[in-house]
Amino acid sequence: MNTLILQQLTLTLRTTKGESWRQRTITKDHAMTGNHPGFGVVVKRITYEPGIARVTSQRGDLTIGGHLAARNPPDDLINLLGEGKLSHKTHSARVNRHRPDGAPLSIGRDSIVVMNPQKVRNRYDAVIVGAGAAGLSTALGLYRALENKNSKSGLSPKVLVVSKLQPLRSHTGSAEGGIAASLGNQEKDDWHWHYYDTVKGSDWLADQDAVRILAEQAPGIIVELEHDGVAFSRTEDGHIAQRKFGGHTADYGGHPVRRAAYAADRIGHQILHALWQQCLRHGVEFAEEWYVTDLVVDPPTDDESGGHARGLIVLDTHVGELQAIQADNIVLCTGGAGRLFHTTSNSWDLTGDGMALALQAGLQLEDVEFIQFHPTGLGHTGILLSEASRAEGGVLRNSQGRAFMQDYAPGHGDLAARDVVSRSIMAEIDAGRGVADPSDPAGPHDCVWLDLTGIDSQRMATLLPQVTETIHRYAHLDPTVDMVPVKPTAHYTMGGIPITDRGRVYRWQDGRRRVVDGLYAAGECSCVSVHGANRLGGNSLLDACLFGTRTGQAIAAVMANAGKPNDMADASALTHALQKRQAFMDELLSGASKTDPSEPALANDLDEASDPDDSASPNNPYALMGQLGRLMEEAVAVRCNQSSIEKGLHGLDQLDADAKQLRAHSGTAVLNQEVTAIMEVDNLLILARAVLNASLKRQESRGALYRSDYPQRDDERYLAHTMIDAKEVVSWQPVHIVDMPPEGRNY
Amino acid sequence: MTSQSTVSVGSKASASDRDPRPVTFRIARFTPRPQSERPVRTNPFAKSNPFATTGSRRGRGRRWTQEYTIHIAPQRTVLDALLQIKREVDPTLNFRYSCGHGMCGSDAVLINGRPDLLCTATIANCLSASETMPKAYATPGIVNGSPQVQQPPAFRRTGTATTTTATPSSALHSDSGIDSRTIGPKATDPSGASDHTETTNHKASTHLTKTSDSNKSSVVEIRPLPGFTPLRDLIVDTDTMFEQIRRFKPYLLHDDSFAESNHNRCESDQQQMHDSAQDPLAKATSQAAQTKAANAEPASEYRQTPEELARYELLSTCIACGLCQGACPIYAGGEAFAGPAAMIAAARFINDSRDSHRQERLEAIDQVDGIQACQSIRACTRPCPRGIDVGEEMWKLVEAVKE
Repeated sequence: MNTLILQQLTLTLRTTKGESWRQRTITKDHAMTGNHPGFGVVVKRITYEPGIARVTSQRGDLTIGGHLAARNPPDDLINLLGEGKLSHKTHSARVNRHRPDGAPLSIGRDSIVVMNPQKVRNRYDAVIVGAGAAGLSTALGLYRALENKNSKSGLSPKVLVVSKLQPLRSHTGSAEGGIAASLGNQEKDDWHWHYYDTVKGSDWLADQDAVRILAEQAPGIIVELEHDGVAFSRTEDGHIAQRKFGGHTADYGGHPVRRAAYAADRIGHQILHALWQQCLRHGVEFAEEWYVTDLVVDPPTDDESGGHARGLIVLDTHVGELQAIQADNIVLCTGGAGRLFHTTSNSWDLTGDGMALALQAGLQLEDVEFIQFHPTGLGHTGILLSEASRAEGGVLRNSQGRAFMQDYAPGHGDLAARDVVSRSIMAEIDAGRGVADPSDPAGPHDCVWLDLTGIDSQRMATLLPQVTETIHRYAHLDPTVDMVPVKPTAHYTMGGIPITDRGRVYRWQDGRRRVVDGLYAAGECSCVSVHGANRLGGNSLLDACLFGTRTGQAIAAVMANAGKPNDMADASALTHALQKRQAFMDELLSGASKTDPSEPALANDLDEASDPDDSASPNNPYALMGQLGRLMEEAVAVRCNQSSIEKGLHGLDQLDADAKQLRAHSGTAVLNQEVTAIMEVDNLLILARAVLNASLKRQESRGALYRSDYPQRDDERYLAHTMIDAKEVVSWQPVHIVDMPPEGRNY
Repeated sequence: MTSQSTVSVGSKASASDRDPRPVTFRIARFTPRPQSERPVRTNPFAKSNPFATTGSRRGRGRRWTQEYTIHIAPQRTVLDALLQIKREVDPTLNFRYSCGHGMCGSDAVLINGRPDLLCTATIANCLSASETMPKAYATPGIVNGSPQVQQPPAFRRTGTATTTTATPSSALHSDSGIDSRTIGPKATDPSGASDHTETTNHKASTHLTKTSDSNKSSVVEIRPLPGFTPLRDLIVDTDTMFEQIRRFKPYLLHDDSFAESNHNRCESDQQQMHDSAQDPLAKATSQAAQTKAANAEPASEYRQTPEELARYELLSTCIACGLCQGACPIYAGGEAFAGPAAMIAAARFINDSRDSHRQERLEAIDQVDGIQACQSIRACTRPCPRGIDVGEEMWKLVEAVKE
């Protein structure tokens, strides 16, 4: 007997149009396991227990009562399910029936999380955009805070995390070295020292009230992460191990101190996975591979407010359709914008989407001219070799073999702050003491050597497995015997969407902060200004986790006080934005629909492909992104001056014109990466303009920004945050100086 | 252009890998048919089937094999090549990628019949494994640190040496769901709904065929990862894998009140010599319990010695890329077997001394479609980009469950 016999089955279905639910009962029929894509459903799994079968399909779970005898059946589950007469619009089917008593693993919370929900509900209490460390921390902070309150109020929040990648693909996973906190597990440390180091590292541009929170609450966040499951490396007595990192000192600038908690050299991976795992535990709902195209913010209605965020327009890439989402609280956690540059350690997805969304919504960005270049990108790949490689004994050498960092930063040497090391490398290269990447011996001498040969190979394998592997794989070198070519690589955007220390986005207007209701941000895309003009190693994960958590808690507090769903908000702005974006999408896709959707339209351009530098194929977003990267590198990478910036701005005009011509070459909207890429290019271009203009306006050198025409820091005029909007209007917000008056910053 | 006859063995071969030369990429492509174009009546069950109406994400559409020939240095990665194709030749080619250096796990595909990540597979690596290449390319040690080169391919090659590849390779397509789906729609709509398979030799590649036509041609064949439903081109549906991973509660459950007894039980299970009086965890957890009761921030980490960490550290580096699932002949969509990735995720917590539910976790995986389904074929071990010996870990689970 090869059939699964069902006694009774109730289907609950939801339609796209309304919220209406239908129920359908099916009795006595047959079913089979297996994939049935031809029928529009993939039955992913069927598990049997006596009397119960559970079916997982891409549309949801299905628990089927009844008895069953065997498998490998001739009949068809879909055939039997086909009893339900539903319209073509049926969008989401979740099937429930007699949940079996006790899940197979009766521990913890058994929660239903739809991995790729076909959303029909379009109003949420909170929508979090981005699922890296900041987004997931925000979600966890929110859920945990609500749980504490839930015992009283019984809130059932509707929260959605929207991300353009599956959460585990987020770039947080590439962070290697460590996360800073004055745990003092291996030697005496004090959060005041961490506070001082961070402020000093920022070249006194950080807001000290925010840095104080960062340093003081860091140990608590680390312990929380550990409880979430992060596999930290350990000391012999079982505590979290810590290592030295650039700029971490004892006693306010004294000797180097072990402050970076680490997990071999994959701390980011560990944190990302642990946070995601805990989100599963708490039943956080994800919408994966959705791309947010627009943020809708109502303009301020009075002199006090900064406006009101209404919602988002999102593209579900899996179906290729746009939809509007209304949300009372929106959090932007979209990460950095390393793809502004050609050589970057950032993933291909870090296209500054959140920052561009804010600019396009009429908001400002803070301090975007400060972009950190990590000194040790591997050759021309830009792939990061962790700072740990120098912390564990790696030495930078020029073409003459000299360990030149001692000349630039006596006492700190190779572990000086990142901007100092990057500039020193560039100075060596400019002085003709650079080396060529061995993989391109005829190429420019724009690298220096990273000498890891002094590190014991056993120790290298234990402490730097990732670094070793990267060098093997992408440079084809053996770091125990070969020198490794390195080059500064765009790594981190210190600036971003301006937020308060509770994650609330604000406008800087009339000399004060005017909070935008319902809008939050966290992580690299935001700027609470703990990094100022230059970020210290180990502080980015800390920033994302700590201020993410705080943001989540802040939203929970707002939600608890909100009580009833708020007034019937006017959705016309949202509708308008949706229509506008739909027209844009239609135009992108229309050009290709006449021809065969799959036929590449750029076929003739291969003639030019023999010259890889001439990748100026028209109408190709990927080529355009490459051109932008080179333009930005010439204009502002590591150092700049007025003429290089103005040249960049001029070149940007041309790229803007080219970008307007971009059209998709396939008319199929489903999983059309080119459509997303075109919108990413638009985002990068709007952001690039803001970066260049902000750099132009700041006529000084501070932290990561080095202007050769203004080589000195100028506290008289520029001890202030640059606030720039899409109209290139720049205003200046004073820095919060609380405990530490500005001093020199010598490493 | 480097002549292949000058290629010698060992490190010198790797030096010549730096010179760009023409390489052909033969890629399985698939464009799903947009929902709006699909006739309502195509599916005989569409009218009555609640699921069928959402079928545009799977199955039907256009399927073909496309070849691209580009100039690229063999030491570059396959991802570099595909990005170059996107940039210079065909921006409609779709494949997942993100970090570009093997950490995000998004770009798992089948390259020359082997499950691999686009960003970690070098072109030289792929060519050296190819039977059609000169012997020198098969020499071990061309690429440092790549143990894969030195092992025979575990998967049958799918017609790389021939020029008329479309039909055999499509027949060997390992996604059984796709092959079996043609039951109804084929009859009613043969042109569009059936497997519309053809080979599109890229138009621009013709001027390079001088070098790529012969049997010495450097061909890299790329297909979607088996065991997963293709959604478009090389992009597959990974939801099944994540659902299976989620099923075994892949998150640390440190039960403060039960931690002590449970921990001790775990320790005795593993025949560890820890004396409960010396157990550092008990003290730490009671501290944590106290602070948690006060609803304050946790005061102290759970203690864990380096030895305890070592028991699961490598397991915790899993990036959920799915290569092991793609290699597993039993997995095939997750229906008979939850899959090695889900087992590894479970093992990571089973071996974590901080977790209080080892026993329940072992019971949870001890099911027909859990660890019992594993037949120790160990195909899952080789492709792991994190160096996890997946097969061995699975065997350890089998033994742990027995205890």
